[in-house]
Amino acid sequence: MKFELDAINIEDGVRASALARRVIGAAPRDVMVSYVADGRQAARPLEGATDAFGGGKRRMVIMRRRAPFLMACPAGSAEFACCGYLVLTLASNCPMDCGYCFLQEYLADNPGFQVYANYADAFDELERLRRKAPARGLRVGTGELADSLAFDSLTGISRDLVEYFAGRDDLTLELKTKTDEIENLVAIDPKGRTLVSWTLSPERVYRSTEHRTAAPAARIEAARRVLAAGYRVAFHLDPIIAYAGAERDYLELIDQLFEAIAPERIAFISMGGLRMTSALRAIARRRFPDDPMLVGEEVLGPDGRYRTFTPLRLKLYAALSDRIRKSNAKPQTYLCMESASVHRQVFGEAAAPPTVVGARLAGD
Amino acid sequence: MSASGIDVTTLDDAIRRWAAERHLPDAHLRRWLALANDDRAALLEVAETLRLRTGQFVAAFDLIEEIALRQRGTAASLQVTIAAILARREIRRILDGTGSAPGRARELIDTLRALRFPRLKRTIERLAAEIASLGLPRGVKVVLPRELSSDEVRIEISAGGGTELARLIDSVAQARAGLERIADLVGGAESIDDEV
Repeated sequence: MKFELDAINIEDGVRASALARRVIGAAPRDVMVSYVADGRQAARPLEGATDAFGGGKRRMVIMRRRAPFLMACPAGSAEFACCGYLVLTLASNCPMDCGYCFLQEYLADNPGFQVYANYADAFDELERLRRKAPARGLRVGTGELADSLAFDSLTGISRDLVEYFAGRDDLTLELKTKTDEIENLVAIDPKGRTLVSWTLSPERVYRSTEHRTAAPAARIEAARRVLAAGYRVAFHLDPIIAYAGAERDYLELIDQLFEAIAPERIAFISMGGLRMTSALRAIARRRFPDDPMLVGEEVLGPDGRYRTFTPLRLKLYAALSDRIRKSNAKPQTYLCMESASVHRQVFGEAAAPPTVVGARLAGD
Repeated sequence: MSASGIDVTTLDDAIRRWAAERHLPDAHLRRWLALANDDRAALLEVAETLRLRTGQFVAAFDLIEEIALRQRGTAASLQVTIAAILARREIRRILDGTGSAPGRARELIDTLRALRFPRLKRTIERLAAEIASLGLPRGVKVVLPRELSSDEVRIEISAGGGTELARLIDSVAQARAGLERIADLVGGAESIDDEV
């Protein structure tokens, strides 16, 4: 799949970078390229734009990242049973436009689609982490503030990442995506250290809410191809949206997935219910006023987020978990941004500590 | 003329007058005036008949729009309008009723919430029936999370003196199986319709 850009802004300081050269070389000729002194300014919302966030998605800013690349997952919290995920921020924002996406709130003040030219510095951070915590089983992903593979045909970042991780037995890279942009991946041998994960939603959610993403069937097909190329694969049923008929549709989706990819070849499946802060809900409804998926039976929870009321949400988790468990291989399953109590209710056992879950999901 | 027989200019003037009197936020007034004639008129009828306060009007307006969107999402071919929702029997009964306007305004909001959150409403009713069937004595209260927003079930015991406390604790112990069942229901243990 190909995404469209209106403009590419390149920060003066990274003009000569390999990333800038690659992007200019691969970008369509009609995309305007300009140079700016400070990419942070170029990433700000355009004044007077009716949809500054949406506009930011079409404006790539190639710049130097000033902050560390590596951090703990921003969704992690002591109130949740977490998965020990570490995040590498190599880009910020995404050319796709899902109605429920938290970036609409998180990046409201700097929506320009930033890609960081000094991303190789992230490898130094990872080396420092490896020296400090020489434990196996760290799972590091790039798909938190951006889709890991969107625009990979332009940036080619995945090649450097996969090659770096291929030489490190104590690290697992997770590339999280809703695209089928896998051409760079299938040309490299990941040596078992890269896992590609897809967010999967039923057709109804995809059509209603996941704008400009690859269709669910195309995501599954892409997974099948990277699996054949030596990658591990995983799936995120997240966000699960509890619309009328959702249980039937999500169960069918799991069946379709297991028909295409044998469950024993799936590293893990995560589940997470739709959750939105009040601010995100207001932004999403303003941007997508006709999307019925954004007006479900969500209520304000103790953590200040709107979620599907608890019995319905937990019943959905239980039904999906049951279907996954009934497959012969029982891929590992975990919940995202849910409490230890919810974890116990759904899986019938206490959640393991995040470091243990992280190591398990990393496959070590 | 609108379909409801009111001249459009007169209707919009009436809406603006009502909005000015109630200090309705501009954003809501703009949304109201942007509706189709029948929808504008139906909303004005509700506002005037039940003498809605500003907060009630805003809540009702939001709920009605969300109900319409949800119902359009369920059956894409249906043209669910605000006027059609306000013409439903349960809403007409409130509008044509004889109780006090404030009482009927509250009933309207409750009814709209039930239409907006149908499975939540049914689940809360189901849990309330389960709790009632336990026959717990006065002094023992099962407190469910507000709008079932968490899986935490609380049992409150209010007693005066040790004897009374012991009696109430015994009654809770006797109801143990039923209470466990209620906690399991809050935790999603039982079937909720997959359809609305």
